[in-house]
Parts: sequence; structure tokens; C-alpha cells
Amino acid sequence: MRVVYRILAYVIAAEVALQAAFMAYAIAGLYIWVQDGGVLDSAVMESEDIPFDESVGFMLHGINGMMVVPFLALVLLIISFFAKIKGGIRFAVILLLWVALQIFLGLFGHEAAIFGLLHGLVAFAVYGTAFMAGFRAKKPATEPAVGNAPQ
Amino acid sequence: MRLSRRAKTLVAVAAAVAVIAPVAWFWQASLVPDAYSVADMGRHDHGGHAPGGDASTVPVDELTAPDDREADVRLTLTAAQERVTLASGRDFDGYTLNGSSPGPEIRAVQGQLVEVVLENASVPDGVTLHWHGVDVPGAMDGAAGVTQDAVGVGESFTYRFVADQAGTFWYHSHQVSHEQVLGGLLGPLVITPAAGTGADVDALALAHLYGGRRTVNGRDGEDRVAAEAGDTVRVRVVNTDFGVMPVWVDGAPFRLAAVDGTDLHGPPEIEGKGVEVAAGGRGDLVFVMPESGAVRVNLSASAALLVGEGSVEASAPPDDVLDLLHYGSPAPLGFDPASADREFAFGIGRRPGFLDGKPGFWWTVNGAMAPEVPMFTVAYGDVVRMRITNDSGEAHPMHLHGHHAVVLARDGVAATGSPWWVDSLEVRDGETFEIAFVADNPGIWMDHCHNLPHAAEGLVAHLNYEGVGTPFLIGGPHGNHPE
Repeated sequence: MRVVYRILAYVIAAEVALQAAFMAYAIAGLYIWVQDGGVLDSAVMESEDIPFDESVGFMLHGINGMMVVPFLALVLLIISFFAKIKGGIRFAVILLLWVALQIFLGLFGHEAAIFGLLHGLVAFAVYGTAFMAGFRAKKPATEPAVGNAPQ
Repeated sequence: MRLSRRAKTLVAVAAAVAVIAPVAWFWQASLVPDAYSVADMGRHDHGGHAPGGDASTVPVDELTAPDDREADVRLTLTAAQERVTLASGRDFDGYTLNGSSPGPEIRAVQGQLVEVVLENASVPDGVTLHWHGVDVPGAMDGAAGVTQDAVGVGESFTYRFVADQAGTFWYHSHQVSHEQVLGGLLGPLVITPAAGTGADVDALALAHLYGGRRTVNGRDGEDRVAAEAGDTVRVRVVNTDFGVMPVWVDGAPFRLAAVDGTDLHGPPEIEGKGVEVAAGGRGDLVFVMPESGAVRVNLSASAALLVGEGSVEASAPPDDVLDLLHYGSPAPLGFDPASADREFAFGIGRRPGFLDGKPGFWWTVNGAMAPEVPMFTVAYGDVVRMRITNDSGEAHPMHLHGHHAVVLARDGVAATGSPWWVDSLEVRDGETFEIAFVADNPGIWMDHCHNLPHAAEGLVAHLNYEGVGTPFLIGGPHGNHPE
């Protein structure tokens, strides 16, 4: 379980990097498309038929961020109950809270851009927490064997 | 005290169950049956009245136009799913009506009876036609699973309605509409007054994104219509897309003569301002051709209708946008919204949860997600007030079928201009609109966001008349999915 916990935590950290990569890819594609004469407006944004291939990055960012990452964070929490890692549950809970906050900030970014700014910063918190959770799970928790516990 | 290994495992299992159980419960509770009636779904809201005691139920498909009247305008529209080629040569996978997209322009004179036979040649999901903005009889509304079954391949359905309202409208499929409308299963419908509109040139500017690029009347980027200096020109702008469209005119001052198929009262001339046409909405612009002989009607920054000869350079979209709350001069509404019989709230929000088992952040109506959406119930003749609030983080163009509602106020500021009748109202995040209408068209009517993917994500409610039922099912053997 400890190994599963560790791998899962690192996968979530990697997911954060992927999220950034998806956005950078999509924005680069958008820039090129606009340079080539494309016009972005409300109807184009709301259309499910965005006319540059890199827009798949926006879609992947949304699906990954709103479904895959929270699912993994939830699984990590469940694993943490069994993994016997010192502070493992605490880190999994903190990570889940960061992820929840991150989703809300991502959606609130549609209302006020300042939330988008915070969304970018909180990404590092998600990354850092996930990485630390994985790193700390390297060693098994020092736990006295049952029966030898001091009374 | 230390727990034994066994006890620790039990605690871990209990903790895991405590996390998983509520998620699993919410997931299963969100699953909808394969077939269900909209009459049974959601929360019935009687707008402050006790539920009506009218036990006799008229099926919505019996609410038709007179059978004994000959049609004045008759045509057949054949729907197909195929590779569509635009005049520019650009092609894409989409839908056609009689071989083209947009479908043919239907024109009728006010009072004429329109009869359209819809045939499905090859659309596997089935098709319907909804007459967007025309307050047709209940059976003719074209909402799959609500007023009819989707028309399967090889089948047909006949729509008949009296074109009572003069104005600019459009028709589109209301089966899997977020895909079929996007793919071009739509067309324009113009109903002119018997005495004419007074315009020398009556032109259509139907905007649609094909493959993410905007077209006008099916032409990439620009279309052109002939006019001479001194001509009065009426341009009928139709926004068939899912987002609001700014419209502005270069080369002449203009008047916004009509919104959503209803003439405005005393609209003054506009210069240096743009107007916004909501998704699904229409705006009729009227101007006199200048001596230069050229006018450009911009439909966002990516498309335009060019009127006359020569060209006018496109200007940037104006920062100043016409506020319809205070445009034109007041006129009698024909009813008193202050003495409303029913009052409803349509509060739009968003929250995490499951939509038919799919996790995500979904739209809510009055705090509940689909299918727990309101069924607003009215009696024939009621004056109805509705307060639409949007706290969902995004804009929603709200479309009520079968009725036109008048805007009374926005964010507590009363309307002071011309009566502003709408069927497609742009409600931005944080805004509150007070609207009112008379329940004078019996049926079961969808009331939904016309950013059609939003409707597919649950931003739908219904307006039901007491004593009217529906024999149709969402899902079921016909695979009815109106959104």
C-alpha cells in the first residue's frame, strides 16, 4: 500500500505539470491561430467546435483537472487509510483540499481574473503537497510491532 | 492504549467506507431511467397557487392548428447527415436540409398558414424542427420527447401553424440539438406584415459557425446584398450560435427596429454604438443607404453583411453597447404585470455533483441539478412573472418556448424604453431579470439555456399548463433527447 500511495502521489504531482503543459500548448495554438487571422469571440468560445487543433489542450485541462485529478486525490486518501505512513492521511487530506480549492479557483476564474492568478499559484501547492506526500512515503513508518508496544 | 492490527484495519475500512459511501450514494441517486416523462420529472412549482384540480388531461399532440384550413405556404424539408460544402469550398461533417446548410429561407405573410413536411433521409439520431420564436400550437413545437417523437430515418412529420407574428425567426432541430444545431440543421424563417415592412431592401444575415468559423447566410466571412443610395434597408440578424454576438454598422446610422421577432416602439437612431444579439436571438436593423452607396453590417469581428456596392472598412467593435432597457419609447403592454397570477423564480447556479452518473460541475436551477429541475405550472390566461437570477459564473441566453416575455427590470432598474419582448434573453453572471408574460398558449414548453451544450448539461426547466399532458418520453424507443 505504501508503494501504491507513493506512486499515486507522484502521479498527481506529474498531473499538475501536465495541466500546465496542456494550457501552454492550447494558448500557443490560440496565439498562432489569431496571428493567422482567426477571431476569438463568445460564440467561438462557447462552440464545441473550436477551429484550431491545439484547443484540445483546453479540453484536456478541464477533464483532467475536474475529473482525473480529484479522482486520484480521493483514491490517495482511501489508500492512505491502509498505507501506514506517518502523516500519510494528513497529507492526503491536505492534498484533497488543495485540489478542491484549485477546481473552484479555476471556475471562478471565469468570473474574475484574479482567481485565475490564484489558480496558477495554488497549482504549486497541489504539486508541492503531492510531491512531499510521495517523498515522505519513501520510508515505512517506524512502528513498534504489535505485542512489543510499551504498556 | 494501542489498537491491534485487526482493529486498525477495521478503522481504515470504516474510514474508506465513510469516504466512498456518500460519493457512491450521490452517484446512484443521479442516474436517470432510460425513459421518463418530463411531466413526472423535477419539482412542480405552482407559482404560489395550490395544484389545480383539473383532472381532464389533453395530450399536447392534440394542440394543433386548424385541420380544415388549406396551407398558404407549403414545403418539404429533407434532413440529411452528410459532408457539407460551403460556397467557399470549405467542407465539414454536418447536416443539411434539402441539400444545404443553412436550410432554405421560409417566407410567409402574417396570417398565412405554414405547412412544412420534415423528412429524415439519413440522420441516425432522428430529427425535429423547432420554430424558434414563433409561438406555435403546443403540438408543433418540435421538442423531441416533449411535444413529439424524434423523426427517425425514413419517417416524416408535418408541422402546421398560422404565422400570426410578423418578424424574424429561425428553425432548427430540437433533437440532440447541441450537436445538430452546431452541425447546421437550421434555417431562417421570415414573416412579413401584410402591408409590408416599408423597406426597399429586406435582407437576411444569418450568422453561424461552421467548424468554428463564422459564416453569413452560409458564406464564409462575408455576404453581399444589392441596394442603392436612398434605399431603406432592413437587415434581419439571426444568431444561431451559442454565444452572444455584437453587431454594429459602418457607413450609416441605424435603428434597431425589432428584437426577437417583435417590433420596438419608437426606436431612435444609433451611431457609434453596437447592439448585442443573444444566442438564438434576432435583431432587425434598419438604415437608409448613404450617398456613398456602401454599408457594412458587422456580425462580430469575423463576419459581415455588405450592403450596396464597394466596400467600407470595418471598424473595431464599439465599447458602447445599446441598453435595451432604456431604448425607444414606452407603449401599452396589453396586460398588467403588477397583478400577476403566478410568480416564479428561475435561479441559475453551478455546483459539483453527478449528472446521470457523470461527475463534474453542473448547472443548477433553484439549487437542484437535472432532473430535479422545476416544472413551472400555470393555468390558461394567467399573468406570470418570473425572476431570473444568474449566479453560475457564466452567461446564459435563456429561451422560453411558445411565449414572448416582456422585460420589466434588470438588477432592480425598471425598463423605461420600448416594451422589450424577448424569447432569447442574455442573462450575464450576477444579473437578475424580472420578466412577465401571459400564459396564452397551452402546452408543455421547454424553458432552457440556448447555449445548447449548457442545456445538455442540465440547464433546462419546463412550463406546463394545467390540464395538458404529454404522451412522449425522454429516451425511450425513439431515443428522444431534446437537448
